[in-house]
Parts: sequence; structure tokens; C-alpha cells
Amino acid sequence: MLLRTILRRLAVGVVQLLGLTVAVFFLIRLMPADPVSRFVGINPSKAAYAQAAKAIGVDRPISTQLLHYLGLAPSQGKGLLQGNLGTSWVSNAPVLKDIATALPVTLELITMAFIIALIIAVPIGMLAALRPGGKTDKAVFVYGLFAGSQPEFWWALLFVFVFYFKLGIAPPPLGLINPMNSPPPPRTGFYTIDSLLAGDLTTFFDLLHHLMLPVATLVFILSGPIIKMVRQNMEQALTADFVLYARAAGMPGSTVARYALRAAMAPSMTLIGILYGFMLGGAVLVESVFSLPGIGQYAVRSILAFDYPAIQGVVLVITAISLVVYLLLDLLHAIIDPRLAQE
Amino acid sequence: MPPADAPLLLEVKGLKVGYPVQRRMVTPIDGLDLTIREREVVGLLGDAGSGKSTAALAMLGLVRPPGRILAGEVRFLGQDLLKLSPEGLRALRGKDLALIVQNPRGALHPMLPVGRQISNAYRAHGAASSKEGWQRAIDLLRNVGINDPERRVHSYAHELSGGMAQRALISMALSSTPRLLIADEPTSGLDVTIQAQFLDEMAATVRGTGSAILLVTQDLGIIANYCDRVVVLHEGRIVESAATREFFIKPQHAYSRQVLSLVRAPATPAKFAADIAPLIEVRDLVKHFSIKGRDKKVQAVDGVSFAIRPGESLGLVGESGSGKTTVGRCLLRLVEPTSGDIRYRGQSIASIKPAELRRFRSKLQIVFQDPYDALNPRYTMEDVIREPLDLHTDLDAIGKRRRIGELLDLVGLDPKRMGEKPRGLGAGALQRLNIARALATGPEFIVLDEPTSVLSPLARVGFIELLARLKKDLGLAYLFISHDLTTVQHVCDRVAVMYLGQIVEVGTTEQVFKRPAHPYAQALLGAHLTADPMHRRVDRPPVNALAGEIPSPIDLPPGCYLASRCRHVTEACRVTPQTLAMHAEGRPVRCMRVLAGEVPIGGSP
Ligand code: SF4
Repeated sequence: MLLRTILRRLAVGVVQLLGLTVAVFFLIRLMPADPVSRFVGINPSKAAYAQAAKAIGVDRPISTQLLHYLGLAPSQGKGLLQGNLGTSWVSNAPVLKDIATALPVTLELITMAFIIALIIAVPIGMLAALRPGGKTDKAVFVYGLFAGSQPEFWWALLFVFVFYFKLGIAPPPLGLINPMNSPPPPRTGFYTIDSLLAGDLTTFFDLLHHLMLPVATLVFILSGPIIKMVRQNMEQALTADFVLYARAAGMPGSTVARYALRAAMAPSMTLIGILYGFMLGGAVLVESVFSLPGIGQYAVRSILAFDYPAIQGVVLVITAISLVVYLLLDLLHAIIDPRLAQE
Repeated sequence: MPPADAPLLLEVKGLKVGYPVQRRMVTPIDGLDLTIREREVVGLLGDAGSGKSTAALAMLGLVRPPGRILAGEVRFLGQDLLKLSPEGLRALRGKDLALIVQNPRGALHPMLPVGRQISNAYRAHGAASSKEGWQRAIDLLRNVGINDPERRVHSYAHELSGGMAQRALISMALSSTPRLLIADEPTSGLDVTIQAQFLDEMAATVRGTGSAILLVTQDLGIIANYCDRVVVLHEGRIVESAATREFFIKPQHAYSRQVLSLVRAPATPAKFAADIAPLIEVRDLVKHFSIKGRDKKVQAVDGVSFAIRPGESLGLVGESGSGKTTVGRCLLRLVEPTSGDIRYRGQSIASIKPAELRRFRSKLQIVFQDPYDALNPRYTMEDVIREPLDLHTDLDAIGKRRRIGELLDLVGLDPKRMGEKPRGLGAGALQRLNIARALATGPEFIVLDEPTSVLSPLARVGFIELLARLKKDLGLAYLFISHDLTTVQHVCDRVAVMYLGQIVEVGTTEQVFKRPAHPYAQALLGAHLTADPMHRRVDRPPVNALAGEIPSPIDLPPGCYLASRCRHVTEACRVTPQTLAMHAEGRPVRCMRVLAGEVPIGGSP
């Protein structure tokens, strides 16, 4: 039963991805831009232009290009269906390889940020709801005013200013590792995991040190909406009959709080999923400030360069990850709430 | 009943509970005084909005957020609960002071198995391991008669029926042998037979353990049958406190007198000559619903026949799943019957052409259970009634306005307020508005589908009086579908009892209520709590109760549908399908043993 639901969701996901790929394929070609001219400079000769167009394959009819991209035209070479996302026009490397380098950086960054944000924000939201008007509640209010009022890159810069420039606790915002250090041998692509696998603790701690500020910035930004959501859902759960009844049955405060939290977390899942999907691309400003070569940076670079295969690849991969995250959260939701599992 | 000098258990003085509403404090409980003695069963009677539930919670020192207890004392066993430390209070709650609430399924956490919750409650009052708690949950569920408790402990609230969930809660509440049990409308929403069964069990258990009960209710029948003393809550204060019998004989407060007016003045049913042509005639009505994804069918209505004469009201009673609501909908062609013949003034409804359907609809109206659902929230009262006038009459604007005024006046609403939106009105006034709308087209016949189920006692009294008046003045005929037997008794001339899609007995209201013949009718009427403190149910053990649960309407038994639950069942019953045939007392009954005179009839006081 459960397996069937998962398989169905995955099948639907694949169809969605295909549809999106085709849509993006046409949309980027509607951009008022000429990718060829970026290769040949201003006022190229006709022959040079034609050669460049041929090199990146845009001289072919659009339908041929699409079929080739999807992998439905074997004569043209491998495509999506064969697991080939094409070659980046800028880096000349396979898009898949580019993404495999950039994506782990972002995933590492935002996953860490999410875990820490949840660890901090959920109890705070709970406390604020349990004691409305109390100290936590007031502090949350003030924090909400601050955090929401400035964009994240501003906070990022402020953090750099305070913690690197003034206090000197943090490293300079120049990437993931100390330039003196070499990256760990790639196995999973995730530097932290790879360094641990290699048993290289120096690099591992260096990584954490470099991730400190970007993660802190994201935690600072993410905690706001998470606290608000937990608080709201908690408040609602606290007025529920079963919480009142648990009190009437003389259950200890901790049990009552657990009852309410359980009911409050279920509806929060969806929002956390959406937030995660959004941050995949939305962390780009933080990545820029700290010069982290993440997927957001890669996406922006590809768009500015009209690097069609790269844009396609990024959209596809980010959407795929979002869909998987939604699916996982829905499964978790169903485990928490048996009423959903039944349907 | 405990002696009058039994020691005080609970003493509430000057209790005040407030809720912040738009920066002001409203006080639904405003100076409540109340005492309960040991072993006493006290009924707390009050209308909707009187603050009953708030009061019940406040006796445990609890308030629904964001409310607060503003003033007063709640002395329980000599100590003021409101001055107790949170830990001290917690230790009392669920141990000496137990609560059961209105909506049992809502009181259970939807995402935790019931066993875990019972275990948590148990472990809150004593060091027990999680394993012991779990075992205790199984034992408790077994004690309250839940089949297969080892499996049931793993169920979630939504997998339990209302009755089962309520039994699970009461098992939890009584497990600690509390000194005081506060029961806040514990049976609202349950079918009558389950209600009676549940209250009997509660009364018996409490007698055994020597607990006292505060029974919060709107139901005079419950008060009369189970309570030693009545206190009446009105606008946040106790306005009357009397021994139950005295209360029914000589109510003091105006509110008490109003709610008791029906009990004190029973209706006199109309008499009809036998040869009047029926207004509505139903023959062999059948309605199947097919189940998605399976080739089985639900037999909602299974060969129902009856007739209603002009100006007559027929009550259709039965528990959930009896098919009574579907019958009403088929009558107005809101659902299409699978087969059968429905005639209005001799004309078959199925043969009515679309062009005539409108005129037909104007003569036959329906009023639904939930008055909120049936009204468009953006409409004013005037708009609500104008709609049918626009459709079915050719009055001009002035004529319509006058008619709207008349109709509002007729149902007892103030015509001057016709420009207001009905949102702020109570359920009773809304239901009156629905009646006014139904009357706008000048109908001869109205189907009333559980019209009183959401009304407060006071609104119900007014509504019943309105129905009786309209029937007399306008000569209306009703099909009154309800599980509220008290109302049926007051409104209906004749009553048909349904069980699993079939009518099992039809008779005059007096016959069916005084001498029910069919075993199911006997059980149903036997479970009816008559508001008569002289024949209390707690004083006479009930005899006609049914065993087991209602069979699924998908897999019906081959013989008599009641065979699995009937006390009088024989082998022949299980294989012989029963037909509705005339009983010697001159009314149709669907039971061969009753017809053969083998089963004593009556049995209800
Ligand atoms: S036919 Fe038999 S089982 Fe059915 S109601 Fe009569 S006595 Fe009971």
C-alpha cells in the first residue's frame, strides 16, 4: 500500500520533470538573447558565427535540438534519457559533472542550516506558545522585527564584518576551505563527509570553521519563519480538546507539551519542505558573499552566460531534489499522523 | 441518593471565568456557587451559551485558552484548587477529580494510539513502567466491554466509533476511582440505545465505587432518570437548585419553567378519518448505493411503504444507519430512488415532467438538520426568503416585501430585522428562518430532517411549539425524521420505526410510545429517557436492551435483520425474511413472533 503510493508519486514526479524540462527548453529560447554571439564577440564574420552556432548545436531545427536533449534522437548522441545532461558551453565540462561539484556544497550548507535552525527554532516556538507574553515570546517578537527587516546578504555582510573583521573569530569569506589546505579526496562530493571518510580531521574542522558564518546567516534567516509557524501551530494545538483533556487527566506538563508539539509538527512539515526547496536556489546571495561555489552561484553564472544546457540541468536537478524532499516529508507526515496513512 | 447531611465534597464560591474579547473581558461564568455532597449525582442543566462546559472545566481549575479564572474558590476535599501549586493540582486531576467530555474522539490525541494515551494517564499518577501502563490499558478496555482489547489498544481515535471512544474515556476516568466525576454532556451525539447503555454503566460503576457525579446536560430525560439533584445554570450563575422530583413538579426560575413546559403539557394528537385520500403515498421504496471499487451495494432503504394524510405528521425514527434520512431525500427527489412508487396527491412523482417539477417543488419542501449549512452567509434574512418567492411566485416588489414580513412574523422572527444578516442569530432563530423560507412557496408538506438536533433545549421548546402551531393553522403535513424521541412524541400523530432500511412498526404515537410491539421498537423506546422522575431508569433495571452492534448494511442477514441482536430469536427467525403485517392491535409490525402473539409487547413505562 505504502510502496504503491511511493511508486505512484515517483512516476508522477518523472512526468512532472519531463514536462518541466520541455517547458524550460522553450522558455530559455524565448529569452531575448543570442548565445552564439557570446562566443564570437562583436561583429563576427558570417562564417565564424555559423561555425560557433554549429559547435554548440543551435543551428539545427528546434525540434531536433529538443529530441537530442531528451535523448530521443540516437543519431545525435546521448541525451536526458541516457543520463546525459549535455555539455556546458562555458566550462566545456559535462553539466552533470559541474552540478555534481556544485550541488553538494549547497546541500551541505542548507542541510546544516536547517538542522540547526530546527533545533533552535522549534523549542523557542514551543516556549513562546506555552507562555504567551513571557520572556521568550517577547524576545521572539523583537527578533522577528530585526531579522525580517533586512535581506540576507546584508546580514551576511554584517556577520563578516563583526566576526571576521572585528572579532577575528571567523575565517575570511573566501570559500569552503583554507587555500593552503587541499580538498579531501572526492568520494561523495560532500567535503565534510569526504574529509571524515579520509580520516582528515584537520580539513574537517577547517570546513566547519569556514561554514560557520554562512550557516549562521542562514540559521538566522530561517529561524524566523520556523519559529512563527511552530508557534502558531502550537497555539492552535494547545486549544485542542485532547490537550485540555490531557491536562484534565493530570498528565505532567512535559507530556502535555509533547502532545501539543506532535499535533503542531505535522502541519509544519509541508512548510519546512517548501522552505528547503526554496533555499536550494535561494541561498545564492549567501553563497556569493562567502564565495561558496554552490548550485545557486552556478545557476546565476549559467543564466548570465546563456549556457542553455547548464540552465536546463540546474532546473531539472533542483526540481528533482525538491520533489524527493516533499515525498520524504509527506511520508514522515503520514508516519506522524495515522489519519493520513489511511487514505 | 445520599443523606442530606453527607459531607461536602465540592464547594464552589463566587467563581468567575473571563475571556478576553477585543480587549474586554467577557465573563461566561460570573459568580457561580455550587456544592456537591459525597455520593451525590447532581445534574447541571443549562441552555446553549449558559457556560456549562466552561463551568465543568473550571471545577478542575482548567480554562480553555486564552481564558482565565478571575475570582472565586473551588474547594475540593477542603482545599482550594485555585490556590494549589500546579503540581498539587495535577496530582488531583485524573485521580480524585475525573472528567469526561462531550466529544470523546476529540478528547483523544489523533496521532497517538489509545493504549498509549490510557497508559500515559495511568502513569501520571504513580510510578509504573510503560509496559505496566500498556497492560493496564488492555485491562481497562476489556472492563468496559470492548471486544479484542489487545488489538484495540493500537487503534487511533478516528478508528473508534463515538460510543467506543466514550467508553475508552470513561474507563480512563473511572480507573482511579475518583471521588468526583465531572461528565460534560457525555452522550451528546450518541444514538439513544448507546446513550442509555452508557449512562446505565456509568451509574452502576459510580454506585459501586461511591463516587459523586456532576452530570452536565441539556437533556431533561437524563436529569429525570439519573440525577438526585438539579442545578440550573443561566447566564453564568446558578439560578435554581432543587431535588429532581421537586424540580419537575415545581420549577422556580423562569428558564426552568420554560424548558419544562413541554413535559408538563403533553401534546394531543390529531384524529383522522380513515377514508381521507393520502397526500403522500410511498410504496416499496428502495434505494441502493453502490460502493466504489466493489461490486457490493449498500441497502440504504429496503422496501419502505407509508402514507401521510393532509395535515398529518408522521415521525420516522431509528438510529444512525436506519435509512430514515435517505427516505426523506427520495421523497423530494433530492436523490433518485432505485425503485418504488412515490405519489403526491395520486400523481407519481417519477412521472412529473421537468416543466411541472417546479410547481411540485413549491408544494413539497425540506428543512435540514444544520441551519448554518443551509443558509448563504452573505444573504440578509430578506434575501433568504425572497429567493423562493422569486422562483415560485409572480408577486411585485412591494408584494414580496409584505410577504417576507408576514412570513417572518409567522415563525416568530421580528420583521423589522429583515435587513440583517442571519449570522449572529442562534441556531433556533436560524431554524425558524429556514422554516419561513420553506413556507414562502405555500407548501402542503414539509420534510423535517433532524431539525432539532443542533438546538438548545429552550430553542427546541419554541421550535416544537412553532411546528405544532403551523400544523394547526396552515394544515401542514410533516414527515418528521429524527432520533430525538421526545420531540417526535410532541410533534407527531403517527410514528414509523426503521431498522436497517426497513420499517419494522407503524402506529399512532401513543401506541408506539406506550406499547411498542416489535422487539427493536421495544429496545429503542425502552432506551428513551422520558423526562419523568417518578419512573427513574436507575431504579428499574432495563430489560429490553439489544445485544451487539448493528449489522453492516452491505452484508444483511438472510432472515430477520434483527436476528443477531434479538432476545426472542428462534432458528426460524434467522432464515425467514420478515414482512410487515397487520398486528391484532391494528398496526403493522414486522416480526412473525409478535404477530403470532409469542412475544409480550409493551415494556416501556
Ligand atoms: S422475527 Fe425473530 S428475531 Fe426478528 S424481531 Fe421477531 S423475534 Fe426477533
